[in-house]
Amino acid sequence: MKFRLLLSFSLIVAAGVAHATDDAIDRIEDALTWSTAHDRIRARLSGTLELEEYWLPQPAQGTIYTEERRVSAPRLVLFLDAQAGSQSYFFAQSRLDRGFDPGEGRAQWRLDEYAWRITPQEDPRFNFQIGKFATVAGNWTARHLAWDNPFITAPLPYENLTGIWDGTAAPSTETLRHWAYLDPATPGQSSTTDRYRVPIIWGPSYAIGAAVSGIIAKFNYAVEIKNASLSSRPTIWNDVTGLWRNPTFSGRFGYRPDERWSLGASLSTGPFLQPSARPTLAAGTTLKDYREVVVGQDLSFAWHHWQIWAEAYEARFKIPQVGNADTFSYYLEIKYKFTPQFFSAVRWNQQIYGQLSTRTGAAMPWGRDIWRVDFAPSYRFTPHSELKLQYSLQAGGNGPHYYYETMAAQFVLRF
Amino acid sequence: MIKILSLRKSAPVHRSSWPRTAQIRLILCLAATAASFGETFAAAIVEGKIALPKNHTAPVMSKRYEIVTQGGILSTNPPLAVVYLDGSFPLPAATAAPQIIQKDMAFSPALLPVQAGTRVEFPNLDSTYHNIFSYSPAKRFDLGRYRPAERPIPSVLFDQPGLVVLRCDIHEHMRGLVLVLGGPHFVLTNAEGEYRLEGLPDGHYVLKVWLNSQTTLERMVELKDGVTLKVDFP
Repeated sequence: MKFRLLLSFSLIVAAGVAHATDDAIDRIEDALTWSTAHDRIRARLSGTLELEEYWLPQPAQGTIYTEERRVSAPRLVLFLDAQAGSQSYFFAQSRLDRGFDPGEGRAQWRLDEYAWRITPQEDPRFNFQIGKFATVAGNWTARHLAWDNPFITAPLPYENLTGIWDGTAAPSTETLRHWAYLDPATPGQSSTTDRYRVPIIWGPSYAIGAAVSGIIAKFNYAVEIKNASLSSRPTIWNDVTGLWRNPTFSGRFGYRPDERWSLGASLSTGPFLQPSARPTLAAGTTLKDYREVVVGQDLSFAWHHWQIWAEAYEARFKIPQVGNADTFSYYLEIKYKFTPQFFSAVRWNQQIYGQLSTRTGAAMPWGRDIWRVDFAPSYRFTPHSELKLQYSLQAGGNGPHYYYETMAAQFVLRF
Repeated sequence: MIKILSLRKSAPVHRSSWPRTAQIRLILCLAATAASFGETFAAAIVEGKIALPKNHTAPVMSKRYEIVTQGGILSTNPPLAVVYLDGSFPLPAATAAPQIIQKDMAFSPALLPVQAGTRVEFPNLDSTYHNIFSYSPAKRFDLGRYRPAERPIPSVLFDQPGLVVLRCDIHEHMRGLVLVLGGPHFVLTNAEGEYRLEGLPDGHYVLKVWLNSQTTLERMVELKDGVTLKVDFP
């Protein structure tokens, strides 16, 4: 009922007032833009109001934490972009919602991103950035915000929970397989232990740190040092001590032969366990021995009304008393704009797990392979409002069944 | 009038060698053309000054996830106005299409008045993609992502009078305007608000000043051949 109500409400609101408010929103945007010193110093406040509704199977997909079959996730996002001359740029993002990931949490206001970027020279070959910001690895973070993302949920590598816990070191392959709901599977297990598990990359990974980046001819680079590994959960992103004690290093090297194509290779390495996991570490080991190493390749293509993105990640979780838990995940995403206001996107995702040796010496997979296809039609009522729908069919994964269906709707108002 | 006379004189040159029906058609055609030219090249002039709004917007480019900074500070455009003669006029003859270029992450000019029936080209002079679109009721289109070397240059026929707001699907800060007018008699003011509208036809017309999407000023004017009318909009 909520889902239908939201849809009806969104459509009525959008159709009824969108065009009437379009010019007004433009004027609000102008009013929220400020400048001084002959326009050398400028700032702009902008944002999005997002109304999300999910119709879920149980266990729910990815990092959506709920035992309900329907969940609402309203969100207000505010952005600040400011620049002083051409050499200094600051941005911030804050959110009012029920948690970074959709769920049933209480309303909370967070400062998810803040960063200051310095470009010492006129050319873009060197930039330095410090603060709390999205990872430079891969190509998904550039479109992860609601308005730019043709889907409502993230691709599999960014949200599918593996059997790895970040609060406890796995003492054996059997335990790790149990955490992955493999052997033996416990009914209802996922509702309590999903909160301990981590994906390969947790969403945009807004961790704290510093980065250098630049463009040299058709090549570009970005390297960052952060306080948390790519798999780290949002509550860890604010713990700045990790930056000094257990830093994570990530980088991306890109090649752009022309405007249509972009190719990139990423590498990241950093400890994936939280400091609270220290009592569970194997004797003689430290947090630094439990590393997540991620190697990624990305590709994007755009031409006229077509856009294609693909990423592939090979991730290794090094667990001294267990071995190297390897997993490979990739996706291919295609978007096509049928009319100026209507577009659709389809995405194929897959994640495959490697094998680990058990006490008996047998090689066993440490997770359930999974594939998922996402389909998302979207309609933009105005340059400031759009409605997205998403249908996902998943096979494999954590639950007792083989196939799972998820539906979602998202209305976005941008100002 | 000089133009009309010279065209009328040229007609008899062809008279002796053409059939009578063709002669009649030619005379009618030339008469229509002459009338049109007479209207276009009439000497009525309106000039004056518009009190332009003082405020302007200095756009800020979002570079949050474009980790590499490109370009410096975006240029700002002073407020300008469009002065035009309201009325119903013939569609424009095919001429070179005016252009709105995309350069340094901005539309230039940021405001372009055209007569309905005009095709406007949108060349991309930046080294990155742009994706121009508009959802304005007067013209709904999306040119998609295209490169600087794209040929033919992507263009749009603006066939309905009205205000068309241009945007870029990639660069949120980019905004431009095409003001599609019913007639051919219009001019853009300079940054001081001064304008001069030449070659206007005789008669009673409404002179309009478009300041922004909310404000259009107007005044009745009587135009006479050879007379310069001074009209200020304080």
